[in-house]
Amino acid sequence: MAGSFSPDSDPTTRTLLRRVLDSTDPQRPRSPGPGARSPHSSQSSRTLRSQALRSAQRAGLETLPSRGSHTKASAQRQQRHSHGARAIGRWPHVPASGHLEEQTPRTLLKNILLTAPESSMVMPRPAAGTPVLAPPVVQPSRRESSRGSLDLQLPELEPPTSLAAGVLAPGRRKRLRLSAFQQEVDQGLPLSQESPKNSDPPSLTSSLSLTFGTPLQSQSVKRPGLARRPPARRAIDVAAFLRDLQDSSATSGALALEGDSHRTPGATLPKETMLEDTQFFSPPLVGHSFKAHLSLPAPATAPTTSGAAGAQRPRGRRTWSGRMLQDSPECAGSPKPSQLPTGRLEAASPQAVGFPSLHSGLSGEDDGVEPFGDGADEHAEEGKGDVRGRTTREASAGAQGAAGAEASEQMEASGSPEAVDPGGSSWPADSSVRTGSPQLAPKAPESLQARQLHHCVEPAPPAKLPPRPRAAGPRPRPDPYKAGLSHYGKLFSFFAKMPLEKAALEMVEKCLDKYFQHLYNDLEVFAAHAGRKTVQLEDLELLMRRQGLVTEQVSLHVLVERYLPLEYRQLLIPCASSGNAVFPAQ
Amino acid sequence: MEDASAEEQQRLTYQQKLKAAVHYTVGCLCKEVAADREMQFSKQTVAAISEVTFRQCENFAKDLELFARHAKRSTINTDDVKLLARRSNSLLKYITEKNEEIAQVNLEQKAKKKKKPESGNQEAAESVAEAEAVESVG
Repeated sequence: MAGSFSPDSDPTTRTLLRRVLDSTDPQRPRSPGPGARSPHSSQSSRTLRSQALRSAQRAGLETLPSRGSHTKASAQRQQRHSHGARAIGRWPHVPASGHLEEQTPRTLLKNILLTAPESSMVMPRPAAGTPVLAPPVVQPSRRESSRGSLDLQLPELEPPTSLAAGVLAPGRRKRLRLSAFQQEVDQGLPLSQESPKNSDPPSLTSSLSLTFGTPLQSQSVKRPGLARRPPARRAIDVAAFLRDLQDSSATSGALALEGDSHRTPGATLPKETMLEDTQFFSPPLVGHSFKAHLSLPAPATAPTTSGAAGAQRPRGRRTWSGRMLQDSPECAGSPKPSQLPTGRLEAASPQAVGFPSLHSGLSGEDDGVEPFGDGADEHAEEGKGDVRGRTTREASAGAQGAAGAEASEQMEASGSPEAVDPGGSSWPADSSVRTGSPQLAPKAPESLQARQLHHCVEPAPPAKLPPRPRAAGPRPRPDPYKAGLSHYGKLFSFFAKMPLEKAALEMVEKCLDKYFQHLYNDLEVFAAHAGRKTVQLEDLELLMRRQGLVTEQVSLHVLVERYLPLEYRQLLIPCASSGNAVFPAQ
Repeated sequence: MEDASAEEQQRLTYQQKLKAAVHYTVGCLCKEVAADREMQFSKQTVAAISEVTFRQCENFAKDLELFARHAKRSTINTDDVKLLARRSNSLLKYITEKNEEIAQVNLEQKAKKKKKPESGNQEAAESVAEAEAVESVG
């Protein structure tokens, strides 16, 4: 039967057509209109669809009052679409309005789009529509059985009736719908879900099934890395943390937080990473968090005796301000347990932002601390704020083992009544580690927290996720070095198509490191062998020859042409251009 | 072509002769080592070592030629040999020492009118090849 919509046609169009067809007149078994069909058969599915939609539209509008007209319209449509769409063909009522044919497909489609939602749904007669819908629904369900549209069909039947009511007010709605449809066409996903509801149930079914099927999958495909991460983890951690946090506000809370942070560093990390990835985080903070993370592990050791004290300590340590101490306990307590995915990060980011400013200079600490303290106070006062603070803390703590270290650090600080001392000791260590990063100074616990949040994200995906937040922060020596390797690590994890262990990724980076060192050593030796101090193309060619990539059969130019993009090829292989000029000049 | 096939045949026989020579040399060396360590070498081992040595010699020759050409020379030099042996530290050291010895000898000989600097290079190359083969096998 004609119902063969071009398989590659947009589901939206198809669904639209279906809707129109279904809405207009499902009952009619296709009454082949000899004239109507043939001309349309040759048309593209889209055209047919548009026509069908148009005809359906018209049929719907015109036949509102009478079913007969619908039937006719549907019959006409049927004829029209018989060729184009399988779905339509299936549906018995493919009306084809003769007058519609005269219009251009584009206008038809437009009209349909404008009116279809209303008109199709128009099932102006709900009573008539439902029975009509039933058969079409069945058919599309059959068609989409694979897609599981059956289930969708039932619920869809209902909306059309409601839509009928809505159809009455086309005006704006139509326009909106049109835009929605347009969007849907563009995106091919979300809108279809909505619009189908409005449109005929059968079309809905098909469209829904189609839309559901595609977008979900596409989403998962779009972000393989993220999709792989179980979101459940976050919820658990957050809840646990929140609970812990709430249970023990200051003393126990801090301790619990520590434990939680320790426990969930891994969990938080992936969360963080995901959050980091999705959230727009200021890079410097991230970098700092990372650095802070590094610095943290060193000093962190002693467990925290009291959460409150610990909270204060880490803060006091970091911020070196008494003020913070007061705030820290509150903030520390709160932040730890909860690592709300986005909320936290967001909270952390502003805090983090504050932190870096704080950390940037000891002198600036006080100033920074104050704002942070204020913020912390606010957080402390508000449960949410606490949570956020906690998350930041946690994030930082949980970031990696370092997070735990940090937590321990903090705890340590808290444990010892002298927050400043431990902080001081840890700080210098941290600062030394972070020499490169001005912001990094994890001095202030707050900043640490904020960083920790980012940390968690960063350390976890150093290789796995693109370290966007990190990119900005300059790191001490290993930074540019590691950054380059992390890029390869990411590529590796991407092409691996399966989750990688962190250790595996690190090993890959190590091997790459050795490999590149070896490679460049050779290049250097080759250049020296030729009495040069600059590595040139000949050295590389020699290297590749030794590697076996360049042979007597395969020359370097061949490889360049095969694997490099055009821009590089132009630079490497001399080519004659206009004016008898050769580029690059030989 | 008959000539081509004949040449091919000749080359193959020549190659086989060379292989046989290498095999013999490897056998002698293995006997010495066995006497030293009081450990016997099976025939397969000797055959394997000689096969590997032969193939490595082919590789070395190609690389040496490449290196010489890279330095825009038409003669293989001790520098090329050193470049070839840089991978293995001990071998490199050994070759460097040998090279210095030879250089000294050359200088002395120069004083006495250069007697055989080339043979020194040849020996160095052979010893390098053998040493590398043994090392790779070991």
